[in-house]
Amino acid sequence: MWDAVRRWRDAVGDAYALGLVRIALGLLLFAAGLRAARDLEDVYFGDVFHWPIVPEALVPSRSVYALLVIAQVLLAVLVVAGHRTSARPALLASALLGTYLLLCDRLQFHNNRWALYCYAVLLAFAPCDRSFHLGPPPATRVGPLWAARLAQIQLALIYVASGGSKLLDPDWRDGRVLLERFRLYGSQAVEAGVPQRVLDWMTQADVTSALAKLAIATELLLAVGLGSRSARVFALWWGLWFHLVIEATSRVEGFTWLTLSIYVLFVTPDVHVRKLSFDSSRALGRCAARAVALLDWLARFEVKAWGPDAVRQGHVVVVVRRDGTPATGLRALAMVARCTPLLFPVWAPLALLASFTRGRDADVED
Amino acid sequence: MVGQAALVLTAGARPDGAFAFRMFPEASTMEIHLWREVDGRWIPAREGEWSAHDGSGQLRHFSWRDRVRDPILASIDTRVFASYGADAQLARLGRALDDVADHLPEDGETVRLRAEVVVSRNGREPTATTLESHPRRRGP
Repeated sequence: MWDAVRRWRDAVGDAYALGLVRIALGLLLFAAGLRAARDLEDVYFGDVFHWPIVPEALVPSRSVYALLVIAQVLLAVLVVAGHRTSARPALLASALLGTYLLLCDRLQFHNNRWALYCYAVLLAFAPCDRSFHLGPPPATRVGPLWAARLAQIQLALIYVASGGSKLLDPDWRDGRVLLERFRLYGSQAVEAGVPQRVLDWMTQADVTSALAKLAIATELLLAVGLGSRSARVFALWWGLWFHLVIEATSRVEGFTWLTLSIYVLFVTPDVHVRKLSFDSSRALGRCAARAVALLDWLARFEVKAWGPDAVRQGHVVVVVRRDGTPATGLRALAMVARCTPLLFPVWAPLALLASFTRGRDADVED
Repeated sequence: MVGQAALVLTAGARPDGAFAFRMFPEASTMEIHLWREVDGRWIPAREGEWSAHDGSGQLRHFSWRDRVRDPILASIDTRVFASYGADAQLARLGRALDDVADHLPEDGETVRLRAEVVVSRNGREPTATTLESHPRRRGP
């Protein structure tokens, strides 16, 4: 048991993807700073009704608050820039400052803001400043992963808390909460282009009951599935669509983008392990290689041209998986979709279709 | 992480369940009607607006929204969605009543404020709840 904990604590890996997460969190912190600045132009929260959790004496004056908002924006810029000496302290300071300001007014509390500061604190202890940064490159990108894994646990905790509270609430379990939300906001959905018959179908008690159970099961299973090596990719795909549907139907500030950014922490901490070879003598091969290089934000592929005699039957692109097995055609496309964030939404249907084309892999020699 | 778990497990002890990641906890609505006590009588403050004389006898205008800017609590005589649940908004409203009562130095008439709130929890039949501010501390 202790050995397992020690292995978990001492695990190291390539920190390439952590830099991307740092930038995403920095942009969300920047947006939060700008929102606070806009609100301040309208009214300073301390001049009107507010509900501090800290003693009122600790609530900043208007001028001090203005300085803190400016500091929030500047710290976010430092986080995005990613300089080795300032990015992680700026991340930590952003989180602590944001938490302090949340404690100054309970009315400004939102789950997505609190989640952002929790992730920021944890990522500040991860080697997230070794990629996508200003300044000279580090001696190595490999670093400890324990803080990134704590951020993964934080995400699981959020799913358990959210799904668990719904599971314990009979109104949620029975679909009553969803039914009423659909009734309250249905007219807005119709105005936005949702067909009336779709809304009519969704506002049936049986349908909302089933959807509620699906939502609860999704949240609870995501908490487990993201931690499972075999179920992780499907959990990430399902979770992606779950959050995109929420984003399309509800106002959740930056919660969707925050959570999807944290999903990047579940990427295996290595780079260029998969190979993508293409036929450079054909325009389609060159285009495919260029597209993959452009979309490969997580550096999953080593993209290289092959000699024309290396492949039989005129394949344009061959992908060699992590385990060394090659894939062509639809299976190669599914593998690319699996590894590139912008194409990931279509990964599961592509992989399903590709599963019917298994025989084609045997035609390739690598 | 232990602290986080504690915050999640103790969410029920906080009316708004803050720091516990309870997403979309309810689909409740509420409609606030504001009243003020003057000379032992309760007078409606329609849409959160009223006029009252100050200490020197001059008539002045007051608005609930001068002090309460939260979009839910600032909506008087209008049905609104109760974000984070009805209990969260009722707890905030109770605080807001006290806060507004404490910030009416030029209102020489109002003794205290009352909110009659019609709450519909997750689409159920509406029920009425009444909240009152503490009596105002007026100068000599």
